[in-house]
Amino acid sequence: MKLAALMRKEFHRFFHDPRLVVTMLLPGLLIFLLYSVMGSAMNGKDGKNYRVYCDGTPPLVTALVEELAKKSDDTVEWLPLEDEEAARAEVKAKKAAAVLKFGEGFDPLTEGGNVEIVYDPASEDSLNFYSLVTASLNELGRRFQVDEVLLSAADAMGRSVMQSVLPLIVVCFIFSACMSVTLESVAGEKERGTLSTVLVTSVKRSHIALGKIVPLSCISMLGALSSFLGTALSMPKLMGVSLGFLGGYSAWSYVLLCLLILSAVPLVVSLIALVSTLSRSVKEASAYTSVVMILVMVVSLVSAFVPVMGDWSVALPVLNATVQMQALLGGALPVWQSLVSVGANLFYTAVLVFVITKLFSSERVMFGK
Amino acid sequence: MEEIVRAEGLKKTFTLSKKQQKIERTGETRRVAVNGLAFSAYRGEIYGLLGPNGAGKTTTLRMLSTLIKPDGGDAFLCGHSVVKDPEKVRDRIGFLTSDLKLEGFFTPDYLFDFFGAMHGVGKETLARRKKELFSRFGIDKFAEVRVRDLSTGMLQKVSLVVSIVHDPEVVIFDEPTNGLDVLTAKVVTDFLRELKGMGKSILLSTHIFSLVEKLCDRVGIIIDGRLAAEGTLEDIAQGNLEETFFRIYRERKGEIA
Repeated sequence: MKLAALMRKEFHRFFHDPRLVVTMLLPGLLIFLLYSVMGSAMNGKDGKNYRVYCDGTPPLVTALVEELAKKSDDTVEWLPLEDEEAARAEVKAKKAAAVLKFGEGFDPLTEGGNVEIVYDPASEDSLNFYSLVTASLNELGRRFQVDEVLLSAADAMGRSVMQSVLPLIVVCFIFSACMSVTLESVAGEKERGTLSTVLVTSVKRSHIALGKIVPLSCISMLGALSSFLGTALSMPKLMGVSLGFLGGYSAWSYVLLCLLILSAVPLVVSLIALVSTLSRSVKEASAYTSVVMILVMVVSLVSAFVPVMGDWSVALPVLNATVQMQALLGGALPVWQSLVSVGANLFYTAVLVFVITKLFSSERVMFGK
Repeated sequence: MEEIVRAEGLKKTFTLSKKQQKIERTGETRRVAVNGLAFSAYRGEIYGLLGPNGAGKTTTLRMLSTLIKPDGGDAFLCGHSVVKDPEKVRDRIGFLTSDLKLEGFFTPDYLFDFFGAMHGVGKETLARRKKELFSRFGIDKFAEVRVRDLSTGMLQKVSLVVSIVHDPEVVIFDEPTNGLDVLTAKVVTDFLRELKGMGKSILLSTHIFSLVEKLCDRVGIIIDGRLAAEGTLEDIAQGNLEETFFRIYRERKGEIA
């Protein structure tokens, strides 16, 4: 009952303060807007002209493709396919959007036929044009055999970007989300003397520690999720990378990914809570936490550049999560390493909660000048 | 009379930081704040610990409220040791000091319920006590106003009521009227009388002679962490507490500079 009341208080403090909710969720929206704007600026404005090589495209298909393109103020320039190798090279060099070849007997009005489309999923223009063609063929309502020729592996590219960037981004968001709520809730309460008012009641110190860590972890998770969604949703525009490759991961990969994040959040919250408990003010705690954050970032960054980390990395807090996330996003399924990492992070969290409990009982820490 | 608080040879020593040593221009690294303090307070009385600043009053009350641990000796509140059973002691005392604050974001209504839950008070009892105490101290008029928007007097009332949410047998107040204006100070002194009327035992620390004369049934004069005199006002002061205090002080410490 006491623990539940302590947790409810933390949730109440957060969810009944619109400023806190906004400051926690706003970064995600800002990241989305900022990255989308950056992406638009980097990838050019609307009103593109798709240069497409084709071997006599049926008028009905070209008309449909052009009509769909017009909806986004885009135009299509049909070029005769004379030298296929040269045309493919242009697509690869992002000078042309695609090469379209229609098989013999292709008839959009009767039974269908087969279409070969050569495109480069790594290029946003090429990928967009591919979508236009498939949408046009679907609109005709016939069964067409679409043979795709990918000039670069979309999966590999997406995965490689995500594998190196995403774990870093996730750790970064987790840390900043945890920092904003934990510093205020622990160091802030200690500085204002409101934590001492709770200490003079008969509630157990371990409950006070858990009453902070559990709700703060849930709240931090929301903040991290908001920032993560903001990044993930703006990623296609920013980097010209399709998120289609996300469908290539197994359900187990996602489960392990979630578990790794779920285990990292309470660990980071506990770490910041420990620093906050030892500090005399929010300002002091903020300064110390920044140092810890830099350390964690450096470790995560190193792991992004070291191709293969030994299994020993599962024992290292936070680093284990980034290493396993990288492996998962790279297409591997390191089940036992991920589970051991989750277990290790939970163990470290328990140790930190125990230490914080002891510190709450220490008069030198809680009341020392 | 039933003994409700008993301090037995309480001792507390603090380490002085380099900064403190520099400020106080002293070379000593340890300071004895409370040195073998022993006294008793009885059920239903107001007991005052009177002494100058730095005499060890606050440290004594903090040990009795289990916020800090004694280095030596022990104290018993309602029969429970502050060293061995701090949680049981906390459930039987209400402690109020200017160092303990209420979160400005919450309302008196929320905080009363929250601290009730912290002391394990049942919902029905809590609702009954809230109705009774809020109407008795006029808090029901601003029960839904956030604490940060309350006046000093209102805030003091809320702090007082929250400290006794669990109906404690002993109420401990550290310098209850320090820094308060006359109106708020009256709220506090009236509250203490009310508590005494309810049969509570009250332990307070102060350096204000008039407060002791107005409220206390018995007083303990504390100088340099030791009990210099103890008894009823009549016993130790024969009607002039201030004169008696300075006489005792001079006997212990020499002439006042």
